[in-house]
Amino acid sequence: MTIKRHGKASTTNLKQRFLLWSSLILISGGLLLSLLSFWNTRRLLMAEAMDKSEVLLQEVEAIRSYVKKELRPKMVELHGKDAFIIEAMSTTYISTTIMDTFAQSMPNYIYRRASFNPLNPRNLADPFEEKMLDWFEEDKARTFYQGIVKKNGESFFISMIPDYFTEPCLRCHGKVEDAPQSLIDRYGSINGFRFQVGDLAGINSVAIPVSASLRAAWQGSLVLFIMTVPASLLLLWLLNLLFQRLVIERLGSMLSLMKEKKKETDAEQPGDELDALRASLGSLQQYVHSARKGSSLQPNFINGYVAGTPIIAGAMSWLYRGYTATADNRENVAIKIGFDEALQNPLYRACFETELHLFETLSHPCLPRFRERIGDVVILDAIAGESLSSLLEKGPLQEPLVQRIFSQLCDLTSHMHATGIVHHDLRPQILHLDKNKKLTLLDMGLASSDQQPDPIVAAGLGPQGDFLYMAPEQIQGKRGDPRSDIYTIGVLLYLANTGKLPFSSKQRSIQKWVQQKVKFVVQKEDEEALSPKMIAIITKSLSNTPEKRYQWVEDLQEDLEKEFLRMNS
Amino acid sequence: MRLMIFSDIHGNLEALQEVCKDSSTRNVHRSIFLGDLVGYGPYPNECIELVRNLKNCRCLAGNHDVATLWETSPYGMSKAAKEAILWTMDQLSPENKAYLSSLPDRLDLGEMTFVHANPYNPKGWRYVMDRKYALRSFAATRSRIVFIGHSHRPLIISKNHWLKVSIETIVGDIKSAVNDSRRRIINCGSVGQPRDDDPRACYLIYDTRKQTIHFHRVGYDVQKTVQAIQNANLPPVLGRRIVKGT
Repeated sequence: MTIKRHGKASTTNLKQRFLLWSSLILISGGLLLSLLSFWNTRRLLMAEAMDKSEVLLQEVEAIRSYVKKELRPKMVELHGKDAFIIEAMSTTYISTTIMDTFAQSMPNYIYRRASFNPLNPRNLADPFEEKMLDWFEEDKARTFYQGIVKKNGESFFISMIPDYFTEPCLRCHGKVEDAPQSLIDRYGSINGFRFQVGDLAGINSVAIPVSASLRAAWQGSLVLFIMTVPASLLLLWLLNLLFQRLVIERLGSMLSLMKEKKKETDAEQPGDELDALRASLGSLQQYVHSARKGSSLQPNFINGYVAGTPIIAGAMSWLYRGYTATADNRENVAIKIGFDEALQNPLYRACFETELHLFETLSHPCLPRFRERIGDVVILDAIAGESLSSLLEKGPLQEPLVQRIFSQLCDLTSHMHATGIVHHDLRPQILHLDKNKKLTLLDMGLASSDQQPDPIVAAGLGPQGDFLYMAPEQIQGKRGDPRSDIYTIGVLLYLANTGKLPFSSKQRSIQKWVQQKVKFVVQKEDEEALSPKMIAIITKSLSNTPEKRYQWVEDLQEDLEKEFLRMNS
Repeated sequence: MRLMIFSDIHGNLEALQEVCKDSSTRNVHRSIFLGDLVGYGPYPNECIELVRNLKNCRCLAGNHDVATLWETSPYGMSKAAKEAILWTMDQLSPENKAYLSSLPDRLDLGEMTFVHANPYNPKGWRYVMDRKYALRSFAATRSRIVFIGHSHRPLIISKNHWLKVSIETIVGDIKSAVNDSRRRIINCGSVGQPRDDDPRACYLIYDTRKQTIHFHRVGYDVQKTVQAIQNANLPPVLGRRIVKGT
């Protein structure tokens, strides 16, 4: 059966809140992602620059070491102790000249030899290098420095190592009178002298510009952020659709039902849809509390009627015996009273309204005739006799009675199914038999009609009713399938014939209930009470999958009638 | 379960009464009426009341039913149909108008779908009599069997594979098996104004257990209806049509 959905949320607070928080989370997420991306790219860039500058610096040190240890001694050996050829014997001259040549092909790599008092004025330390010279002088344990430095608005990654004077260095940097004449001729006798062993000679540094790379990393992160915005919007839209479908529509449908049925005097409640539900649950709690008091729920006078003892108690209404209040023509009636406390719950209100609508519109010999409605009170024709459950307390039913009951029950169920109604909650407590064995159904509180929205589906609630009589798919939450009622009739048929339920043990979880009902097997001791054909009918009705059951209650009725005929012949 | 399916009564009470009498002897469990209770015929209120009181019967809305409620304009119809609709508007009681307005346009029941004209656009009132609209109808539902009316011509359209359909015209009382896996569109013909050159009222019974479709033709006093059409000052062509079955 097709279930039409209708009704929209009366308020959209929940949806607005969901959208606001979702968009905040998504935008923050996009921002965080971009920042993380920038941080990671910068980290990788630094690591790469560090490796490159260290390689270069170690290369320069290797050149200087080679000059000190190999080239200079060899030149002294060849040209005598007093000779000093700068181009072949000065470590600073050779290393800076080689790196100048290197810089011509690799302009991005800057090599510097800097000191406070150099022979060559071009090696004079700039303010930053002066600071670094001081830093190294402060603590001779400092042998390396790496970091980002800004020069002329450009960022550089710099690696630095200090260089200290040793004994051989003092020939050119010690006393002026000991220095080679060629050196004095080239650089003069003022700067670069009067040092001692262990003095800081200078710092060797390699600088690599990183501004462009950092800029690219920043742009990449910005692009990433810009791209996450439409992606976030798309995700937000999809989430919104999902939320609308899974939550808002169901809540809206339920709340619209509540609004339709609610008294006009009820004031609009503040808060969102969930607050309205919470308020309803609060009222339900109050109802349960008052329901436990029992007798206090029994009313006396309702308009022109007098209510007496209760016949049956339900979750949202009780059915009472009653009679008309006029003294001259007293007539027995049944009075169904919905409780304000329960009916403030929108779900109960919707179920109650559906039930009243069915009592009002359905016409069948097994349904009490609808007389009138007074607010949440319905006056029905009198209901006499006793319930099927109290009859079953005495044991299995006699065969003629079984036949009488199930002919009527199948006819009633086929009438409901033919008009698009599934009962969902057939059980012995709500089936009454009068002295003529006429069956009457007292409750349709969980019924659904394919022409009206199902409030239980709209509320997204799980299974409702008594699991002992319920079909497995109904226990799993599925509603609206007439074959679920056929399963329940199978349970009742077994109960009526044997006095026992086919699955009698109560389970704690839904899974265990479903597992228990996977396969029906007639208990050995009950086989005598059932004919083979009756066993076949019950087994087919109690098939776990609806497709293997009777597809229409009329088919079950036809098989039952054939079997009843055979038994009677 | 034996399901009676009938359609297009069009205010022809004589035909409807004979169909009800005939079906009552055939052990029918439920019945579904596929729309067009009124229009053309002289007994709109009587037909509505009779169908409303049938046990275990559900009704769908047809194009003539909604036209009498001004949900669609009758001015798009043929001259005779339009005049009949305007006449019917004046005749219908408020209760029956309310009943017509409550009718749904589609019903899904197990592996079956019921509509007046077609399942892809139930209120577009397009006839399904050829391959193009049959394929479109199959695509619009997952049901194995689609029951339709509207064209007043009984037929069975079977889907042989995803592009091929076979169309079988039904003549007279015919029993057809539908126990294979092929999907079908079945037109149950018309009770009150058949148009397949057979003036007898047409309806079908689907036996879900035996998987058979049985088309039944039921004769009725056509002259009585023709006389009633004349008495109601409805266009005479409507009387001539039901005599010929066209």
